[in-house]
Amino acid sequence: MKVLVLLTSFLFITLTAQSQSSPQVRFDTANDLLEEGKYREALKQYRQIEDSGSSSGPLFLNMGIASVQIDSLGLAKYYFLKAEHFESVKNSAEKALEFVNSQFSRQSAKLPKLPWDKAVDIFKNTPGTFGLFLIGYISLCIALIVIVLDWFNLISLAKRNTIAISLLAITVIMVSLAYYVDYVDQRYDEAVLISEESEVRQNPKESSELVSMAYEGYDLTLDRKKSEEFSGWYYIRLGNGQFGWIKSKGIEIL
Amino acid sequence: MIKTGKKLASLFIFFLFVLSCQKSNAQSVSVQATLTETNIFEGESVQLDIAISGTSLSSLERPEIPTIEGLRYLPNRTISSSNYSYINGKPSLTQTFGFQFIAMSPGSFNVPSIKIKVNNKEYAAKPISFKILDPKTIDNGDAERSPDIYVRLEASTKNPVVGEQVVADIVLYFKSEVEVSNYNTVPGWKAEGFWKEELNNPAQARSTSVIINGIRYKRARLLQYALFPTKPGELTLSPYSLSVRVRNNRRTSRDPFNFSFGQENKELKTLPVTLNVERPPGIENAEYIGAVGDFEIKRTIKPTSAYVGESVEIITEIKGTGNVPLLNKPEYEFPESLELYNPQENSAITRDNRKIGGSKVFTDIVIARNDGLYTIPEKRIATYNPSSDKYEYTVLPEITFNAEIDPNATVTTLEDMRLDIDPVTGLANWEQKSVIPLKNRKSVFVLMAVPFLLFIGAFGYKTYYDKLTNDSGFARSTKAREMAFSILEEAKKTEDIKESYHKIQKALSRFIADKLNLPIAGISAQRLLEEVKDKKLNSSALADLKRIFEKCETVAYAPNISKEDMETDIQKSRELIKELGKVL
Repeated sequence: MKVLVLLTSFLFITLTAQSQSSPQVRFDTANDLLEEGKYREALKQYRQIEDSGSSSGPLFLNMGIASVQIDSLGLAKYYFLKAEHFESVKNSAEKALEFVNSQFSRQSAKLPKLPWDKAVDIFKNTPGTFGLFLIGYISLCIALIVIVLDWFNLISLAKRNTIAISLLAITVIMVSLAYYVDYVDQRYDEAVLISEESEVRQNPKESSELVSMAYEGYDLTLDRKKSEEFSGWYYIRLGNGQFGWIKSKGIEIL
Repeated sequence: MIKTGKKLASLFIFFLFVLSCQKSNAQSVSVQATLTETNIFEGESVQLDIAISGTSLSSLERPEIPTIEGLRYLPNRTISSSNYSYINGKPSLTQTFGFQFIAMSPGSFNVPSIKIKVNNKEYAAKPISFKILDPKTIDNGDAERSPDIYVRLEASTKNPVVGEQVVADIVLYFKSEVEVSNYNTVPGWKAEGFWKEELNNPAQARSTSVIINGIRYKRARLLQYALFPTKPGELTLSPYSLSVRVRNNRRTSRDPFNFSFGQENKELKTLPVTLNVERPPGIENAEYIGAVGDFEIKRTIKPTSAYVGESVEIITEIKGTGNVPLLNKPEYEFPESLELYNPQENSAITRDNRKIGGSKVFTDIVIARNDGLYTIPEKRIATYNPSSDKYEYTVLPEITFNAEIDPNATVTTLEDMRLDIDPVTGLANWEQKSVIPLKNRKSVFVLMAVPFLLFIGAFGYKTYYDKLTNDSGFARSTKAREMAFSILEEAKKTEDIKESYHKIQKALSRFIADKLNLPIAGISAQRLLEEVKDKKLNSSALADLKRIFEKCETVAYAPNISKEDMETDIQKSRELIKELGKVL
């Protein structure tokens, strides 16, 4: 009997602890705080969920709304951009972004993306790098099966060589593309400046020549590989195509 | 016979002019003396020109030539000419007298001040110093070696500061016997590290005379560029290329009458020129906009009063000479509540008098989002003047403008300014962030390895299959053991002992023959034993093989062999086949 009581107690404590740390429970708590107008506390709760590795569209949308309420528009933009990637809240996030962007006193010129960069973005989202790899992989398997079956006279194809070479070419293209998209995805990150302003300099030094000023809400493209060379600085490209070094403080990477 | 018609005509024009100007009260008269060469070789002729210019020359005496030390006057070669022109809407007459001399003895000399009476008043020209050189001092070897024609890139300064204008002249030097008919520039000259602007070049290049290393050359400036260094350090101007069409007037043995057969195209190139560009000194309490030169800066606002939401322009105009194309926009401290738009920039550049100048206008566009008085604080701007080697400061006074609410404008409600999105509550779909890069996914490498391994296996099997089909020796060798065991199995089942031993012999012979690709029929046991012996079969196995072969041959004469003996021999044969399989 004693053993049964102990076991039940242990199970109860374990389940209670698990339910407290579940993202949904924290999310509900944070939503209550948001409705009560305790925006900073709500944001703190939301951040704990994010730090635990869980993510969802409503989470980022609500974080953006909380950031707007505490008048941190750069941060709000950052969270709305993250929320935009989730289909369930995409429309709300786009509407919120439109609002936030209209509130910045300084607007950044934004060069349109090159067609190749647009294509890379599309591949990155659908079918994704692993999807591209799988297409290439399936193509490779089919090519090898065609060759092997032909060796043992199990099939008879008039244009066997053409089919096999075409399939192998597709494999090479798709696998190369998958690795290139993966490389671009790993090397470059989109980021948002959430501090009021920051200086963009020619070199990662305080004394270096000033390239431009960046203001809250500016979209930045960050070169992760180059940025690793200098601690505390990021090598970035501004929306108008200018390059330079910016202090890492006050920048949120998407 | 001396032609006098031209002289009379020019004198007539001159006196008409004198009469027409008698009543005018212009008093400005200038007298200028020039020598066509100031470095003259002994024995060379030289001309002294005395030009008298003025708006009214009512009486003019021919100047008297004083004795000039080092020169001998050639009295029969005096010329005179007159030129009438309008300068700034006023008539001007220039009467020039040219006197010919011959250089007599080497040394440094002066043409003394020459006095002349104009309008009953005495004027004097400034003295001119000149040198007469001894032709013997010219090294004939040097003269021979010196090129007939060459081009140089001459920079106005070798130590500019960043942004300072450097005039780069492309200058052609050629000897007097060389005639240049035309030239063409070779496109593609790049001045790396410099901002380059082409200055206004004369339609026709004029040549002057210079002496270089004792050799007289004509010097003609063909082109001129304004260069602005954009960074400090040693910057090198790459060679400039020209294509020149020349004719050498020196008579040669091939063209003794100088019929001008010697016209040719020459490709000329300047030497590279290195400039040491320095950084302008440091600056405090002012903004440096990169301006190097002589500039005036002005800031204005248009309009000074606007409605909320209307654009207001803050215009900064920078005018002067210097690096106008490289000027940066001054940064102003705008009040937070002003919305800023991309500034505009316009420039107008002039290229006269070997200087880049003009103006650059920056227009900041701001829009007031609230009503009230806005102030843009004063700004201190520094420009660097290389001629005085110091910064010059301009303080742009503060400017204010008033923004009012347009009474006819529609009012934006507070609702319009608010984020109209409600937070999402309730259940959410949760995802765990796990984006593993493709290069770090082990499954990718495993997936890639599988088809390749299967493909290699299939290829190996195909090769084996092909060999089995096409190579009879390989096929026999491969199937030898299986075949031998099958014959031994038959031998075991046979009731007749003689027949069994016949099959044992057949199994062993067939196995050895198949393994060594020997013909099956007509091969003796002795031959097989020799073949096996060569393959280094161990001696006990060889002895067993020999014994079994002998027993098989003599079985017909040994009726007392039991079934057990036969089975033992079959078993022994199996072992022998295994042993033989290792060496064959």
